This record gives sequence, structure tokens and C-alpha cells, in this order.
Amino acid sequence: MNKLNHEGLLVLEQPFIKVPLEQLKKSARTSQRQLDKEFSNLSRDINELATKSKQEELKTKEVTDVIEGMVGRLHKLKRKLNDIKEEESMYVSRSRIRLEHLNELTKIPTANIEAYTQWSRVRLGRILVDYMLREGLSKTAERLAKEDGIDKQYVDVELFSQSKRVEQALQKHSCAEALRWCKENKSNLIKNNSTLEFNLRLQEYIELVRFRRTSDAIAYSRKYLTPWSETHMKDLQQALGLLAFSSNTNCQPYKKLYDTSRWDQLIRQFRSDNFALNSLTSQPLLSVTLQAGLSALKTPMCYQPENRNINCPVCSADTLGNLAENLPLSHHVNSTIVCRLSGEIMDEDNAPMALPNGYVYSHKALTDMAAKNNGKVQCPRTGDVFEITQLKKVFIS
Amino acid sequence: MEPILRENEIVANTQAALAINSVENIDKIINALNESVEHISTSPENTSEALSSLSRQIKEISTQTIEEHKEYQAVLSRYGKAIDKKWKHDVTLASNPNAFEGKDKILQMTVALHFICQGKFELGKTFMREAGLEISTELQSQFVKMYEILKAIREYNLEPALIWARSEREKLEKRGSSLEFQLHRLHFIQYLRNQSRYEALHYAQLNFQYFQTQHFREIQRLMCSLVYINRLESSPYADLLSTEGWTNIQNTFATDFCSLLGLSRESPLFISVTVGATALPWLIKMATIMKEKKNEWSQQNELPVEVPLTDDMRYHSIFACPVSKEQATEDNPPMMMPCGHVICKDSLNKLSKGQSSRFKCPYCPNESIPTQAMRVHF
Repeated sequence: MNKLNHEGLLVLEQPFIKVPLEQLKKSARTSQRQLDKEFSNLSRDINELATKSKQEELKTKEVTDVIEGMVGRLHKLKRKLNDIKEEESMYVSRSRIRLEHLNELTKIPTANIEAYTQWSRVRLGRILVDYMLREGLSKTAERLAKEDGIDKQYVDVELFSQSKRVEQALQKHSCAEALRWCKENKSNLIKNNSTLEFNLRLQEYIELVRFRRTSDAIAYSRKYLTPWSETHMKDLQQALGLLAFSSNTNCQPYKKLYDTSRWDQLIRQFRSDNFALNSLTSQPLLSVTLQAGLSALKTPMCYQPENRNINCPVCSADTLGNLAENLPLSHHVNSTIVCRLSGEIMDEDNAPMALPNGYVYSHKALTDMAAKNNGKVQCPRTGDVFEITQLKKVFIS
Repeated sequence: MEPILRENEIVANTQAALAINSVENIDKIINALNESVEHISTSPENTSEALSSLSRQIKEISTQTIEEHKEYQAVLSRYGKAIDKKWKHDVTLASNPNAFEGKDKILQMTVALHFICQGKFELGKTFMREAGLEISTELQSQFVKMYEILKAIREYNLEPALIWARSEREKLEKRGSSLEFQLHRLHFIQYLRNQSRYEALHYAQLNFQYFQTQHFREIQRLMCSLVYINRLESSPYADLLSTEGWTNIQNTFATDFCSLLGLSRESPLFISVTVGATALPWLIKMATIMKEKKNEWSQQNELPVEVPLTDDMRYHSIFACPVSKEQATEDNPPMMMPCGHVICKDSLNKLSKGQSSRFKCPYCPNESIPTQAMRVHF
């Protein structure tokens, strides 16, 4: 039972490995694009120069000036490329370090040794940093990562500092940052069928209408909304219908379009698109693991004061017990009898023994107690005192 | 993991080579451009030839560089496929996004308590300030005290621990803890180790008396060891010198300290997340199957599958009736027949067909009547 199921434990680590991979893919695309662009410009300019110099007499100085201009551009390209490659190699080594870390886990045979506890503590640290970053608690995240020694390669702080900028702009009711982000990630957003860009454009349009800048609004809709007509015709019609209503209307759906809570929706949509794009899970890992763990531990006894066990997480009524309230209970087809005196599991080697009052404790715990008390045992739940000879062995099949 | 590690290595090598090559290639083009500038300046009549040769060179080098990049992308995509093969399922498949709805503050409180009980007080402070939480300073100062005492023990100073244990003597005894005696014992051993015979004797006279009924044998043993004080290592009492005692006492002290606060020594958050990581693959597997059968996951008030737990993570007795496979409840409690076998009340009634009729235990040849069965409490 204490043997570790490595394949199973790795399931949770999907984002740990996929996030740096996404970054790698992204920077590979960027460098490819940069090179494509610069090289094709270069060929075009050279060819142009060649044709020109054939047709008309160009001064030597003119030719060499153009070529020297190219050299300047190439130096710039080189610098850019160097930066990208440096970032790339950082993500490559980050992937490597993370894979090695997971590989370490596969070498730990059982759950009851210190190495696994250590590994699990690091995992909890990673999960908590992820949670803090998602909650926008960046100071705590930074400090925690540093104290746990996982700040270098085990957490993805940079990703969140980027998205924070976009979110802050949206909070101030500005779409500019978010639209720039959409442009940068256009191809992937299309792949994911994202409607974020349309919703951002719609919002900018709504703001124009709100302030009665009608002709600007119409121009805007022509330029930015009509390209979406194929997929968003109904939204488009609603948007233009908005022109007929003022911002204090009670008429739906226009009231909803004017509602400023649309900005919060945009933030939420941006978040979930951003998570999907970067292979981050849609929910924080803390909530994913806590749900699973609390359910697996939850029993009806956790909510009965007389059966409370201070070591059981779900039994702490104010914190985890409260969180577990609406979660499903654990499922058991086999009996496990835990000794209320020693906390040990009772089995053939440490058989359950019933006192005459029907309360059951482990043989070991009762004989230990009797040894200290001249052969007498006291039931901790009822206070009754019995002779050790009055015990009866219980058989659990 | 092996195939992924292998692909990752290929990615690393390709990336490193590409980083060098592409910069070198750009340098080559720069050189070619510079050379042609020189060439054109010295012999302007060859301008058009120079330009077309330049165009050829650029074309050649740029095609090569772009090809290399495409190759790198192919390597990357192979690595990505290896990863996708291992991680097929969405991690959140079995999770309810609204499981903790409206409980944000409680979750944050749980995390803050986790920091405090781990002794990460500064981190806790930063977190509470940033998240706008407040936690009773009483609890925090208790934990500060605990970590101070633990630090003293690590520095072989038992005084603070002894003072605390003496002040909480009654509560500790009620819990069956022998912490205070264990501390005195270790203190005594310190004198033994230093071969301070008189101090040891004096310490024993002063402190052991109170514990004589409970720990008679151990006290006897400790006193006997005094005879061998000059060569304890080669005596039957060599085990007293083991350093394990010092790690054990730290654990015992911390466990007792937390239990008096009504808390567990190990962070409940740590336990829950660790169990969660083990449970998750089971739940995801079930969720996948249920999704295929178009069953809703969230409608269940009990998990559809038993998650295996390690022994130390089982905190409550679970009795599942071996006959009906149902879990015992207050209405359907576990009953022990005179032979010692236990089944649930409902099963008992079904087997016996009447309160006074004899029936055979399903697990042994013994026969009994239902009224002889006794309700047991686990």
C-alpha cells in the first residue's frame, strides 16, 4: 500500500512540463518570423538595387550606402536573435531541470521514506506559488518561492507578470494592452476558437456609443466589427441596435451590453484564454489537489464531534472541514479499523479487542495500558474500568 | 520518462547548434555585404556582377538558415508529441470549478495557518498583509514559542522544554504523554555523557521521584548505568548514548505541543494535497469512464471509486459489512456475534429471520441467536 504509483503521481505535473514547452514553441515561432521577414526584405532590396543599377547609372556611393544600411539592419537582427536564443536556451534548460525533478520521483520506491516527504513538500511549494500568482499575490509568491528554494526553475513567475499588465489595463477600462496581446497570439487564439478579440472590439465600440460619439462608433464598427460578421452576425446586429438606446436603458439585451460588469467578464475571458494558451490548468492546482485529497479523506465521522481525530485534516471544522463541506465522501468497500488509543491500524498482528461495553481497541494499546495499571484497562470514551482478562477478540472479515 | 528525456536532449542539442549557426550565418551575410562594398568601391564597373553574386550568396545562406529553423521546429514538435503522449488527460477533468465557491477567505486562512505551523512567520505576515487577512496573534505566538523551544533542543538545551512540560504536566498526563520524563531522562544522560557522576546522581534524586510509579524500570536502568559511567560505550547501556534520542524528543515535543493546541503536528494542508496528488489519477480515470457513459460526475455525494490511502493517512475506523458491503451507520451499526465475527445489523436480521431463531455465522460454524449479538464501537 505504501508503494508509490509514479505514473499516477505524474498526472498532476502536466503544466509543469508543458508550460516551458509552450514558451519554447512561441520563441521558435518568433525567431522564424524575424528571420523570414528580414531575409525576404534583404533579397528584395538587393534585387531592386541590381535592377536599378542596370537601368540607370547609380553612383557607387549610392549603392554602397544601401548595402551599408543592410549591414546595419543585420546587426540589429543579430542582437534580437541573440536575445531570443538566450531565452530559448533558458527554457530548454528549465524543461530539462523539471524533467530531471520528475525523474527523481520515479526513483523513490515507497511513500513512507523521507525522500518522498521532501519531494512532496517541494510539490506543495510549487502548487502554492501557482495559487498565489493566480490570486495576484506576487509578493507572497516571490517570497515563498525563494524560501522554498524553487524560485529559479520550478515556477513560472514571468508568465503572470505579463498577464498582470493586461488585467490591470482592463480594470482601468482600457482594451489596448489586451488587443496587443491578441495580435501577438493571433494564430493560437484562432486555433482555440477564442472570441476574446471580438469581445474586446465590441467593448471599445460600446464605449464609443456610451459617450454618444455616434459617427466614430459607426466608423469603428465598419473597420473592426464587420470582419467578424460571418461568425458573429447576431452580436453584430445587437451592437448596431445599441445606437438606438441610451446608456440608461432598461431594455435587454442593450442594458446588458452597457453594463460595466462586462469588463470583469473580459478579464475572466482573458485569463482563461491566457491559461489555455500557456498550457496552464483552468483551475489552480491547489484547488484541484485539495478537492481530490479532501474527498479521499472525508468520512461521516469527520463531522461528529465525538469521533473527531485531531490529525485528520477534514476534522478541522474551521478550515479544511469547512472547505470539504460540499465535496463527495470517500468510498470504502473494505473495513479499516483504527485504534482510538494508539492511532494504529488493527490487523492480525495487532488484533482488535472488544471491552465488555462493546468498545474496541487494539491489543497492543490495551496490553500496554494494563502493564502500567496492574492489569486494569480504562475505556477512554466511557470511563469504565475492566480487567485485561475480560477482553474478547473481534474478527473483521 | 525516458523517451521524453531523450527528445528533450535532442531539442537541447539542436537549439544550441542552431543558436550558433544562425548567428554565424548572419555574420557570413554581413561579411559578404562588406566585401561587396569594398569591391564596388574599388571597381565600380563590376557593380552589377557584384550585386548578382551577392544576391545569390544571400539566397543560399538564408535558405539554409530557414531550413535549419524548420528542422528545429520539427524536433520541437516531436518533443511536444512525446509529452502529449504521456499527459493525455486534462488535469482538471475530475474537479469542480465551483467546489470552493464563496470560501476564498477560508482557503486563504488555511494557507496562512499552514505557513504559521511550519514556522514561516515572515512569509505568513507577507501573505496576510497582501491578502488582507487577520489571524489571532495568540496562535502565532504559541507557534513562535514552539519553534524557540525546538531551536533550544537542537542546541542541546532542554531547559525551555522542561519548563513548558512541567507547566502543562496535567494536560500531558491526561493524554498519556511521557514527554516530561523523556526530557529528564535525556538531561540525565547528558550528565552521563560528560561523566559528571555527582551531578547525574543529584539530578536523579531531584527529578525522578515523581515518575517512579510510571517509569520504574527505566529509572532503574538509568541508575544502573551510573556504575559504568567511565566506559559506557562498551557497557550494556551503550544505547543510552545514541543521538536518535535527540531527534525523537524534538518530534515528541512538537507533537505534544500541537496536540495541546488541538492541532496535528503535520500540516493538514500538506496532508490533504499529498493525498490529493495520489487520489487524482484515480478520479481522473473514473471521470473519463463516466464521461464516456455520459454520467454526471458532480451529482454523486460519494466518490465512485475507493482511493487507496497509506496507513498513516487513515484517521477513522471504517466498517464495511462483509455481507452487504455497506458502510455501517448509526441506524445500521456493526454487531458482534458470540464467535467474534462482526456484521451489520441489517445483515444480521436478514440472516436470522426472527429475533429468537438460531442461525449460523456466515464466517464460521458457530450458531447463535440475534439477541446474543453485541453492538460494537470502533
